[in-house]
Amino acid sequence: MNTIVALATSVGRSAIGVLRLSGDDSLSILSKLTQSESDPDPGRAILRSIRDPRDRQLLDHALVTFFKAPHSFTGEDIVEISCHGSPIILRQLLDVILSLGARLAEPGEFTLRAMSNGKLNLSQAEAIRDLIDARTTGAARQAVRQIGGELSNRLAPLKDELLTLIVLLESSLEFAEDDLPELQATKVHEAIGLLRERLAGLAQTYDVGHWVADGIKATIAGRPNVGKSSLFNALVRFERAIVTEMPGTTRDSISEEINIKGIPVSLTDTAGIRQAKDHIETIGIERTHRAIADADLLLVVLDGTIELNEEDHLLLDQARTTRSVVVINKSDEPSFRNPNAANHPDVNPLVVSALTGSGLDKLRAAILAPFGSVDSEAVGLLVTNARHYDLLQRALEAVDSSSDLMAEKASEELVLVGLHDALRFIGEITGETTTEDILTQVFATFCIGK
Amino acid sequence: MDEVFDVLVIGGGHAGCEAASAAARLGSQTALVTLNLDLIGQMSCNPAVGGIAKGHLVREIDALGGIMGRVIDRTGIQFRLLNRSRGPAVQSPRAQADRALYRKEMRATLEATPNLHLRQGMVVDLLVKNGRIEGVEMQDGRKLASRAVVIAAGTFLNGLIHTGRRTYEAGRAGEPASIELAKSLRDLGFRVGRLKTGTPPRLDGRTIDWDAFDPQPPDEHPIAFSFSTDSISQLQLNCYVGYTTEKVHEAIRSNLQESPLYSGKIKGVGPRYCPSIEDKVVKFGEKNRHQLFLEPEGHDTNEVYLNGFSTSLPAELQQELIRMIPGMSEAKIIRPGYAIEYDFVDPRELGPDLQTERIAGLFHAGQINGTTGYEEAACQGLVAGINAARFLSSEGEFRLQRDESYIGVLVSDLITHGVDEPYRIFTSRAENRLALRHDNADERLQPHGRELGLVGDSDWERFNSRRDRIARFSQALENTRIRKSDKEYSALAAIAQGDLGDSMTLAQLSKRAGITPDIVRSLLPGDLAQTPFTLDFESALADSLYSGYLKSQHAVSARLRQHDSLKLPESFDYRGLAGLSHEMCDRLERSRPQTFGEVKRIPGLTPAALSTLLVRLMTQDPA
Repeated sequence: MNTIVALATSVGRSAIGVLRLSGDDSLSILSKLTQSESDPDPGRAILRSIRDPRDRQLLDHALVTFFKAPHSFTGEDIVEISCHGSPIILRQLLDVILSLGARLAEPGEFTLRAMSNGKLNLSQAEAIRDLIDARTTGAARQAVRQIGGELSNRLAPLKDELLTLIVLLESSLEFAEDDLPELQATKVHEAIGLLRERLAGLAQTYDVGHWVADGIKATIAGRPNVGKSSLFNALVRFERAIVTEMPGTTRDSISEEINIKGIPVSLTDTAGIRQAKDHIETIGIERTHRAIADADLLLVVLDGTIELNEEDHLLLDQARTTRSVVVINKSDEPSFRNPNAANHPDVNPLVVSALTGSGLDKLRAAILAPFGSVDSEAVGLLVTNARHYDLLQRALEAVDSSSDLMAEKASEELVLVGLHDALRFIGEITGETTTEDILTQVFATFCIGK
Repeated sequence: MDEVFDVLVIGGGHAGCEAASAAARLGSQTALVTLNLDLIGQMSCNPAVGGIAKGHLVREIDALGGIMGRVIDRTGIQFRLLNRSRGPAVQSPRAQADRALYRKEMRATLEATPNLHLRQGMVVDLLVKNGRIEGVEMQDGRKLASRAVVIAAGTFLNGLIHTGRRTYEAGRAGEPASIELAKSLRDLGFRVGRLKTGTPPRLDGRTIDWDAFDPQPPDEHPIAFSFSTDSISQLQLNCYVGYTTEKVHEAIRSNLQESPLYSGKIKGVGPRYCPSIEDKVVKFGEKNRHQLFLEPEGHDTNEVYLNGFSTSLPAELQQELIRMIPGMSEAKIIRPGYAIEYDFVDPRELGPDLQTERIAGLFHAGQINGTTGYEEAACQGLVAGINAARFLSSEGEFRLQRDESYIGVLVSDLITHGVDEPYRIFTSRAENRLALRHDNADERLQPHGRELGLVGDSDWERFNSRRDRIARFSQALENTRIRKSDKEYSALAAIAQGDLGDSMTLAQLSKRAGITPDIVRSLLPGDLAQTPFTLDFESALADSLYSGYLKSQHAVSARLRQHDSLKLPESFDYRGLAGLSHEMCDRLERSRPQTFGEVKRIPGLTPAALSTLLVRLMTQDPA
């Protein structure tokens, strides 16, 4: 396998920068760089002078680590060179390595090699991408669990159960002449039902799981000067939005991401809704409406020191028809009176003060509440990937059709259609089950053959 | 050269017969060379053809214009359709054969074939020049020239028989092994492995107490294998079912040291679905009895085949064990059972036409490819024979797809995955199982047979009439409605135990539980209710039963094929792809596939290599 190289850390100045090589020539390239005859011990970091072998020019003092095949990420020989994080040095070193016969890795190629060398399955590889992209600890934790194969492990007993059922039904079809135990239709039907429940349980975790991975888009809306930007700043914990006494200060929508119990929440502050005074404000208000339409959650802010007006009521109407949280701001002001939201009985407003921070913890909890009361940092494994969810959903439908056919007392070859499909769909997450695997199980289970 | 032929077939078993017959009928001057002309079409093991999935193969062979179905239809002594209680896709015909009559009928069929020449003798060498086959050399010194050769040597290649601790070289009991031909294959560089199979003892029927066994009667209305057969008219016989006892198992267990299987003498791998009685007793110790079938070998013989008791224990011990079986205390063995080890050649060396990649014009069919079973062998013989003839006339290769036939499944499994035990067909090997019925093999394959030139005019006419009749039945099923106002309605609703709505088609009605084909038949309009073509009607019903599933299966396979149209760049570098062996890179570079779908059809690619390639194609710059 030819040898690939890439910068493993991000481009730009940093304390250290790591170059990673994978392939048969990794070690020989390293020895040319370090002018050293003896191979480094696998898995141990050592300090070496790195030189350009063409002119023996010293490039850097670096920490090098050798991972010997197959005990490495890709399953091939890997060398990692940790240099000082100067983009210039790293560029130079990369050029030297390329001149020694390695080629630049394509995006994802290390993971690809790990997959094709059997070090990772597809869902683990996907999880690595998710981990690198993770924006909160919750998302990262879920990704780490999947890299460890937890999703595959969770699916493994379901797959075994499916396989057992397939083996039972297939055997009774294929070996009608053999002296096999009578097929217990009721038991098979029950087992299919149980399997269905377990699959459904796993698929259901996506309800929460996809928010963990994809995040929640929350839009703050209200009429001008109710304190939307103050609340926004209070939630993101720094002065991101400009706050003044003047109504209509926020002309454009701005967004920041916050982390609530491990779930990434993208918070958007918007221009206050009113009859616009100028063209720029008109555009801003249009954007507000768009942000409201795009949001997973609408956060309506009311001003507790003044009466509700028509615009407030319009927003409250909207809040009733979508996922929403209503807050009444400025609880710190002496003139604060809890305005009567009685004509909006479905709305359960929270009282907060953006200025003092009072009520903000409750608000954070309330933002998550409509998405399944879940603490992603505490719960078990969640399905976070849309592809996995889709496949589980298809597997579920397939098992359902088998269950219906069992109820109709249909012949085995029809019941088996759904079970085989389900196995195939689950196989797309965890890796294939071949006919040969099924036959092996058949012959291990039953004494077959004349 | 002493004689010159177009095609030469080595071996007169089930693969060899089909190969020679097909090649000759396609116009090639064909020689069938065999060790003993009197044993053409010999059933080396059980005297039966068909069984689940195997019966499908025979009907496919017949639809393509092969001969096995016709021969068994004339010589079968007990026809049964297996899995009758299940759906039509997994029902399959099986027949006990009159062993001697089958041989006789097969030989007569070959002798009546123009362009086909029988020759007796042993082939000892393959004549190869510049990577092409040129003929064979015989043990008696004759040289036969031929530019296409099919090897169908069964268990004869380096055959080694075991009974107890004794071993001897043989191709079958009483026949010599083919040692030199096996050597010449190894010398040519073929990857050769060892497999094992076994056979049970044959008993003298006069010494069995038949009353101790349960009779297993033949079907009242036998289903023929060949689409050209009108009816089965010969006398039909019973088989009998019995069981071993713990006492037998105990005796086997205490004598395992006598078994070459357990003493480590046998190195070859045997078929898991045809275990010896020793294997059954050891691996399934909790079973207190194992089923036995007593199968008559023919009308004019006392010989009885003891199916289920395959063994390689010493002959005298076999005799003792048999006597412990209830009803067999006086039974005498005529021929002891034995195990046989033989050479096979890795079938991954073959293309889909069953031609070896190593030597142009050389084809392999049957057990040499690691399969077991007469039907598996015969269908390979047919494919190899057809392709040998087409090779000479430079017509393109003939191959069947997995989704249209069990033959396609079998060939693609062999050449893609190879074998590590004797390969047998199963319905579960076919992804498209619901579409591959035994009764629609003609619909699926007869047009291929006609196009190839193996289906004659009268059979073709017969096929077209049947197709028309099925179409009429299908139309009637779709277009005839049963309505609430009809006088039969309430009776039907009572049988179906449910609401039938305001009206439903007969096709819908036929899928309801309790509604038998006869009921549906009686509701057909006009003369259709009375026409005698019951099998055609049942085919129409089966088409209708599965049509919905086939559509949804189609959607699933479309999903699995969704990447097939991804293009491979002209200069795609397979060498840079992790997980591909050098051999696979060579194959890919030779065939230069244009799309991912074409790559998938190249035999030998592992799923891992395919998914690596797919990920690469999907992540590549679209430019």
